[in-house]
Amino acid sequence: MTTSARRSSLGIFSRLPVRRIVLIVLGVIITVAAIAGARATLATGQYSGRVWQDLFVQGLARGSVYALIALGYTLVYGILLIINFAHGEVFMAGAFTTLFLAGYLSSSGFMASQPVLSLLIMLAFSALVSMGVALLLERIAYRPLRGAPRLVPLITAIGASLFLQYTFRGFYGEQVRAYPNIPGLTGDWNIFGISIDRPRVVVIGAAILIWSSLYVFIERTKTGRAMRAVGEDREIASLMGIDVDRVIVITFAIGGALAGMAGILFILLFNQASFDMGFVPGLKAFTAAVLGGIGSITGAALGGLVLGLIEAVGPILFLSGAGIPSVGQLTSVVSFTILVLVLIFLPGGFLGAPEEKRA
Amino acid sequence: MRQPQAVRAGLIGGAVVLYLGAVGMLERFSERSIIVGLIRFNLVVMMAAFFVFALFAYRRATGEANTSLGTGITAGTVAGVTTGVVVIILSLLVDAGVDVRSMFLRISPAFFEAITLGTNPYLGLVILAVIGAVMGAAAGGFRRLQPTPRTIVITVVGTVLLLGLGARLFIPMLQGLGIPTAWLYRSDALTILGAVIVSVLAVVIRLYLQRKGGFRKALTEVPGVTPSNVRPILFALGAIAVLAAPWIGKQFVADVLGTVGLYILLGLGLNIVVGYAGLLDLGYVAFFAVGAYTVALLTARSSSMVGATIFDLAPEPLTNFWVALPITLVVAVVIGILIGAPVLRLRGDYLAIVTLGFGEIIRVLILSDWLKPIFGGPQGITEVADVPAFGADTNDPRVLYYLIIAFALISLFIAGRLKNSRVGRAWAAMREDEDIAEGMGVSVIKYKLLAFAMGAAVGCLGGAFFPAKLGVANPGSFTLLVSINVLAVVVLGGMGSIPGVIVGSAILVGLPELLREFGEYRLHIYGAILVMIMILKPEGLIPDRRRALELHAEEPHESVGPLTAAATPGVQ
Amino acid sequence: MSLLELKGVSIRFGGVQAVKDVDFHADLGEIVGVIGPNGAGKTTLFNIVTGFYTPDEGSMVFDGANISGLKPNALTRLGMARTFQSVRLFNAMTVLENAMVGQHTRTKTGLTGALIKGKATLEEEAMITAKAQEALGFFGQRLLPRQNQLASSMAYADRRRLEIARAMATEPKLLLLDEPAAGMNPAEKEQLIEQVGRLRDEKGYSIVLIEHDMPVIKSVSDRVVALDHGIKIAEGTYDQVASNQQVIEAYLGKAGDDARGDMDDEVST
Repeated sequence: MTTSARRSSLGIFSRLPVRRIVLIVLGVIITVAAIAGARATLATGQYSGRVWQDLFVQGLARGSVYALIALGYTLVYGILLIINFAHGEVFMAGAFTTLFLAGYLSSSGFMASQPVLSLLIMLAFSALVSMGVALLLERIAYRPLRGAPRLVPLITAIGASLFLQYTFRGFYGEQVRAYPNIPGLTGDWNIFGISIDRPRVVVIGAAILIWSSLYVFIERTKTGRAMRAVGEDREIASLMGIDVDRVIVITFAIGGALAGMAGILFILLFNQASFDMGFVPGLKAFTAAVLGGIGSITGAALGGLVLGLIEAVGPILFLSGAGIPSVGQLTSVVSFTILVLVLIFLPGGFLGAPEEKRA
Repeated sequence: MRQPQAVRAGLIGGAVVLYLGAVGMLERFSERSIIVGLIRFNLVVMMAAFFVFALFAYRRATGEANTSLGTGITAGTVAGVTTGVVVIILSLLVDAGVDVRSMFLRISPAFFEAITLGTNPYLGLVILAVIGAVMGAAAGGFRRLQPTPRTIVITVVGTVLLLGLGARLFIPMLQGLGIPTAWLYRSDALTILGAVIVSVLAVVIRLYLQRKGGFRKALTEVPGVTPSNVRPILFALGAIAVLAAPWIGKQFVADVLGTVGLYILLGLGLNIVVGYAGLLDLGYVAFFAVGAYTVALLTARSSSMVGATIFDLAPEPLTNFWVALPITLVVAVVIGILIGAPVLRLRGDYLAIVTLGFGEIIRVLILSDWLKPIFGGPQGITEVADVPAFGADTNDPRVLYYLIIAFALISLFIAGRLKNSRVGRAWAAMREDEDIAEGMGVSVIKYKLLAFAMGAAVGCLGGAFFPAKLGVANPGSFTLLVSINVLAVVVLGGMGSIPGVIVGSAILVGLPELLREFGEYRLHIYGAILVMIMILKPEGLIPDRRRALELHAEEPHESVGPLTAAATPGVQ
Repeated sequence: MSLLELKGVSIRFGGVQAVKDVDFHADLGEIVGVIGPNGAGKTTLFNIVTGFYTPDEGSMVFDGANISGLKPNALTRLGMARTFQSVRLFNAMTVLENAMVGQHTRTKTGLTGALIKGKATLEEEAMITAKAQEALGFFGQRLLPRQNQLASSMAYADRRRLEIARAMATEPKLLLLDEPAAGMNPAEKEQLIEQVGRLRDEKGYSIVLIEHDMPVIKSVSDRVVALDHGIKIAEGTYDQVASNQQVIEAYLGKAGDDARGDMDDEVST
């Protein structure tokens, strides 16, 4: 080709950020529609302040569970850069297995006399089961694949996810099973003059406690520092004398334990377990991790809470005013739309690494 | 213990057999005879487990233990005894009135029956130990076999298992070819005589081919076949087999092959997005759904619902399949670009969740009450018109089968042409290093959108057949599992590899169809196979040339597990 | 006449002023050496010129056209090509395919062309292959015989050469080389000096190169520009710049860490 031909195809579009403009316009349209929907909903006066309050707390509780599961995704991703797609099943394993322990505690009368201790035992047991599953997963499915192309562990994880789901279906059957009620956790508590469902209070409180302990662990302990170092640069960390394999195992163990505890909190909210209970919360938690900025621990918490709130409040607030029937069905439309909007404007999520400065 | 590795392998082997029992597989498998009156599938699986873990013991063993028969026998016996002892403990618990089944649902009388081979737990222990020891010894012996006897063993076992398990496929095929099957099969299992005859036949053929230096070389001995035309002849034979399949095998075969063809089509489309351009798409089912629903809306008598409610039209199909198809393509490409545009700058994993989200959005929308007047909610769109072909409207599965094959061939052609072109190179460069590709003059945005659009077009072709085949388009068919299946087909076959997609579809879609009678365990086994293949062959079954070269160049990996290291001896 | 002309170019990343008010030009047929201690802003300057970064201030003219705000692919089309400090090849592609990608902006086969594969496409493919092989052939027997190997399997120095060949395949007017001699032994450096000369004399490229190796800079450069802390501190012949007090101080002040690799400057993914 000659020089003259080179110049020809450089039009105005080479310089104008067309895509960016289109996206911003799109974002503005969706935001305006959402505000209009919200105004319409509020104008109907159909929902009282009490209802909103209730939805808000419900969202926070659900978000707390998402946040704890999301931590597992984020920890593993931060270190291995793989999406542990089977994490939802790790969550299910703990929650579903603890059902039988809970049944025993309940029928033996222990739960009635010692509800708090029972709950703690259940949390610990579920954490142990989930941790065991997570460790097996790491050992069998992921460790042989270090250094393989990135999609390979993802497919393995998907395979492992199916395998675990059907394993527990094989063990415990396919029916949805009801959990025994924990005495003392029915009814409301009055907090700051607001009456809140007791399980929700426990869930939110426990999640805050668990998250804070993890934060302190990562920031303050030697093992936590080793985890961060491996996340920064695995090679250099191993040169500095850090046993990378051990750190990875610990990461999976922590992620699994968090998922197991999240499982019990989930049970407090929904009171039932089944072999496929992990799939949807797993997906949501993954979304939450990305929303908050995958790899960031604070991001996982933030993403979880925001997603929980959006799911609880969003459909009714944005859609019901527009005359759309059964808005509850559209929950994931609302949450994924918001995820896309957030990623368009903050490509790294809320707290992820900022984008390179580039053309 | 002098052989800790063997004991360890044996314990794991026993645990695996117990696992298979506890999830109910052994019980279910015991309903299936492989050879009438001789061996059932549960026994095959248990023997295989003992054998595999005995082999595993050798893999870990060093020095003398690596060759001694004792290693295998120890491992096998330990596996058998472990299984037997746990079974006895379980039976004692049950006898003592402990309600084991309140937790482990499958620890039923049928479980004990299947795992003890119809005897009682104590006799079962003895039988399991003996089988374990025999299989362990067999594993040790197998390792010492010369190549030829080894081939014979593998051929016999493979043939019997394939014919035994595939009975439901082979019986109608043989009958379709006019071959009587009574000598070979009784109900769904091989007869002893039949098993012996086919085994001998298979071994003879195998050895003959081996002596001639392979199938192709052997073929050249047939008059008229020369080394230069052996390829076209093979190709023609393959084409005839594919074309004739629905006629000799009745509807079941056509259905299975049609589904495989559909996944080849979808896999080739996704391969462009993931394999060529390196964009991880977890929501590919969206295009499948778009194809199906657009065709259904345009050709359904009941569609109606749009026509009748919005345009006040008579309940007649708006148009026929062939007019709807190009419209569908355009719709899919537009939606592909719409989905692609917002996420162009996102990193791989973010792209994965966003595409997954789009897939879910589309599924939820077609399922919703809100859009029910258009998409029909959970019922979907019914009364989709038949496809006009060969002068008549038809929903004959054979005609649809040919249509799918034809479209799969078209996308095969497209995928092949694009791969080795300037466009394909631009995609490959982008996949390898986006910044540098842009630095070399590749417009990343343009080529990403192009990849999404091409993938969308091919995917919607696959979806378009769906309502034509079933007469309805309903949301149950467009779940995340479809996206995952297609992605698994691509990665399992080898990313970017076209033959890989074909083999991947055959294995991941075809095999489960054969195992349909184990329905409840289909996804269970599917998941396990997915994990195993990825661990044993991370580059896929038929790797793309580039990736294969790359993976091999990087060997050995820094920390390979025992499985990879041992399972890829041919790699270095 | 100036092929490339930068006036008052600045860029900052957060609180760091990486490049500040730099004037820079490269004349037609000239070889300009850019030197400076680690973190001086050399690679950042390259990234600005080639469109990877958009400068906060300043004007840039290339071959008579205003190029501020243009993307890298548009600049390649205009006739600019570069190599990278840490070699960045398309590792899973063959040596030949790497060079063939270089021809991207000079060719036009699109979707339909690729699918129909008519005469025009075939001819263009042949031409792409020929031009790519011509570029590989510039390095004698180093690359051409290995054209079907994977780029990742090549020796380090050959990977550097392949990067230059890939840039050559874009048929540039201006070639920007980022530390081409890094990691090379003395014999290979000698070869490189000769090759850079030939790139100008035979191929007619104007060349800008960043280099830490002073003998290489001395042998090839018509003119040398020195940067420190994002500011141009000296410009002139090698001897003028080498004797400049500010330059000596800049280097002496950092004598200890004149090691390889200003990683912070590199374009990162």
